[in-house]
Amino acid sequence: MKYLHLVWAGLWRKPGRTVLTLLSVINAFALYAVLSGFLSMMDGAIEETRADVLIVQSRVSQIEPLPISQLQQIRGVAGVTAVTPMIIFHGTFRTQQQRVQAFGVDPDGFVAANPGAKIPPELIAALKRTRNGVLMPRNMAAAYGLKVGDTLPLRSMFWANRADGTQTWPLKVVGVYDPEGADPIFSTASVVNFSYVDEGRTRQNNTTSIYLLRIAEPDQAAMVGQAIDRLFANSPHETKTLSERQLAQDSMKQIGDLGFVVRGVVGAMFFALLFSVGSVMMQSMRERTPELAVLKTLGFTDTGVLALIMAEALTLCLVGAAAGLGLATLALPLAKSVLPIHIPVAALMLAGAGMAMGLALISGLPPALRAMRLQVVDALAGR
Amino acid sequence: MTGTLIRVHDLVKRYKRGNQAVEVLRHLDLEIAQGEFVALMGPSGSGKTTLLNLIGGLDRPTAGEIEIGGERIDELSGGQLAKWRARHVGFVFQFYNLMPTLSAERNVELPLLLTNLSGAQRKKSVEVALELVGLSDRKRHKPNELSGGQQQRVAIARALVTDPTLLVCDEPTGDLDRETAEEILGLLQLLNREQGKTIVMVTHDPKAAEFASRTVQMDKGVLIPAMEAAA
Repeated sequence: MKYLHLVWAGLWRKPGRTVLTLLSVINAFALYAVLSGFLSMMDGAIEETRADVLIVQSRVSQIEPLPISQLQQIRGVAGVTAVTPMIIFHGTFRTQQQRVQAFGVDPDGFVAANPGAKIPPELIAALKRTRNGVLMPRNMAAAYGLKVGDTLPLRSMFWANRADGTQTWPLKVVGVYDPEGADPIFSTASVVNFSYVDEGRTRQNNTTSIYLLRIAEPDQAAMVGQAIDRLFANSPHETKTLSERQLAQDSMKQIGDLGFVVRGVVGAMFFALLFSVGSVMMQSMRERTPELAVLKTLGFTDTGVLALIMAEALTLCLVGAAAGLGLATLALPLAKSVLPIHIPVAALMLAGAGMAMGLALISGLPPALRAMRLQVVDALAGR
Repeated sequence: MTGTLIRVHDLVKRYKRGNQAVEVLRHLDLEIAQGEFVALMGPSGSGKTTLLNLIGGLDRPTAGEIEIGGERIDELSGGQLAKWRARHVGFVFQFYNLMPTLSAERNVELPLLLTNLSGAQRKKSVEVALELVGLSDRKRHKPNELSGGQQQRVAIARALVTDPTLLVCDEPTGDLDRETAEEILGLLQLLNREQGKTIVMVTHDPKAAEFASRTVQMDKGVLIPAMEAAA
């Protein structure tokens, strides 16, 4: 501790340069925290999906509808405990940018087939009572300023409403639910009555976007899925059955290996940081050659001087890392309003401390070794 | 004055410059008694700073012996030599060599960081040293806020703070005006006379040498006998 002021004074010899270096370290660690939070959010979303919930969709395409007649056959497959059709209704609210995704479900079958939705029974009952009712997650209702009793004139992107021939579907908000702890897809989507959408649309009646089903044993998911797909093989409506988790993983893979991309970006950023911190430390050491020689003259050993330079690098990197990670953590509530991002603070702080120490070690070692090998007489003579 | 503090015997120092070996000190013998104030004089390249560096344990001889206070410092390892310097030698340079980012008191404290003294004990020692050089009221000032003479006083306080046996001074007044130089030399003389510090000072200035109790002349890596020097 008695050397701390010496380390600190060394760092602030050129305040402008130290501030700029510190800012680049803070920026890198803040970005690292946010990207880690993003990855963690994606991993978390996959983790939160259920392995005992299967999704049956058209083998041709995710947007190709399936006939409702398949419902009974799926229900009869061994291992299936509940099944419900589900229409995926894409619409917009006041502007084209206010996208709303709604799931058209059979309220009774939906609860049995998908316990992950975690919608209270009284809200399901309210939906059953109101044919054009809609249940909304609290964050969506808040974002659009809607409350129970309001009308949500949802403009369909695909289907006209038989009632007046327009694309507008006047939904009545009958409940607002808390999406915390629910299956991630229900934190961003509303729930409406299947019959209201299916019977109200001018085309594709008696079809469903997907079937949602629940099985007794999660480890039999592959077997049950194959049995369903075999049932409709060579029919005009062949199916592809996946568990909710598999579907989430496949969807992520369609975007690309995000984990690899994010880790690549973070890696490249730290690689660049290594050079910038390293060159600053080297420059600082060169400028202070006579001062380091004086320290050695006064009796500081070679390893003592090495430790001093390493301590400077470590202080710079640790202070920068702590500030960057701290800023990212403080900005978390703001980030959450845009994305359901989750920053695993404890794990991140540990990893960040490790990375900061690694950064300090690699960038600080070359100048520290140079300082250690400094010949006092030559350095004092300016050679 | 008591016994011999510094004994240099058959000292040789060679440097390599390119492919050539340059002999800077040639089989030099010198004795300095405890409590002496010796001025080393001679033309540029005569080897006086090299001799001072060797006596101060900053460099190693090519051959020969250096015994200080009964200890053969030419036989010490790099680490041992660093510790020996910290315990026994105080250094004063021509350009003060203070840490520009540290205050006067922090500069003076530097050698004490290598001791086991507590923070309070270090503070006390720093105050005594600054008092001795008459700079108690400037202790919080940084070097760029002090005059050249004041900076050299801080450097002397730093050299004294561990109470070393030996002070080595390399052109301590070379960067100062005459009046300030005399103040600094007077201070060194005082330290020699009243505190018994043994001082070895390299200088080009005969007036500075007058403050010493003995002047040793050097040329081409050897000592010039006193009679020849006088002639």
